[in-house]
Amino acid sequence: MSDYEGGAANEDDLSLPRATVYKLIGEMLPEGTACAKDTRELLLDCCNEFIHLIASESNDICEKEAKRTIAAEHVLVALQELGFGKYVAKVQEAYDEYRKQQTKDRGRKSTKLSQLGMSEEELLRSQELLFAQARMRYQTQTTESQSGNSTPATTNGAQ
Amino acid sequence: MVTFEAKGTPGTSTLPAARVRRIIKEDKDIAACGSDSLYMITRAAEYFVDSLVRESYEFSRLDKRKTVQYKDMAKAVQSIEQYDFLGDIIPPTVTLKKTTNEKSQQ
Repeated sequence: MSDYEGGAANEDDLSLPRATVYKLIGEMLPEGTACAKDTRELLLDCCNEFIHLIASESNDICEKEAKRTIAAEHVLVALQELGFGKYVAKVQEAYDEYRKQQTKDRGRKSTKLSQLGMSEEELLRSQELLFAQARMRYQTQTTESQSGNSTPATTNGAQ
Repeated sequence: MVTFEAKGTPGTSTLPAARVRRIIKEDKDIAACGSDSLYMITRAAEYFVDSLVRESYEFSRLDKRKTVQYKDMAKAVQSIEQYDFLGDIIPPTVTLKKTTNEKSQQ
């Protein structure tokens, strides 16, 4: 058989997390089947190689276009060139979902504020109130520990 | 045949993109990889795992076994042209005949 040995601990960072990959394998195999330990390790290595392969090919395509950053299209072309055309449709689909999610997240960030049901003025006022309360607590603390004047902290209502 | 459907939220990946990025960065020739492309490569890797696992399993099934063994994966890699890049990782399991021939040639 091969001389393949398991990767050293410090190499683990440069490899995919074992547990995640093993979980994936479990999900992909039909019920009642398993994958031998050394085979799982092997798969891990194969996957790493695959990543290198795709990245390298994508990079070549990217450089041919005189670009510096690998773009999405480069990856798709790379997959096709390397004979993994069957992944292209699925990867494209996943990518479209990913982009959709990104726009949703961006939108959600702005709606979080509106979801509170308060106007910006009300938000500022409640923030001022919270600061004032905190200030009072601080002042009470300091007057207890020392006799002297404590300068109230300057608050900035703007976020 | 890509049959793996990623579970979980759409637009996410099971494999951690950050780890994939680190692996990509090992290649000094690569200047930069956009996060979009990173996501695609991550997902492609998942499909790769899916394909290889299922193809290996076919060989175990043919052998009437329920556990995928090293030799199954070796056969899968040997039999599929796109997996030639894995040649160094999985030296093809040579038959006894071949090894005896090679030995006599040495």
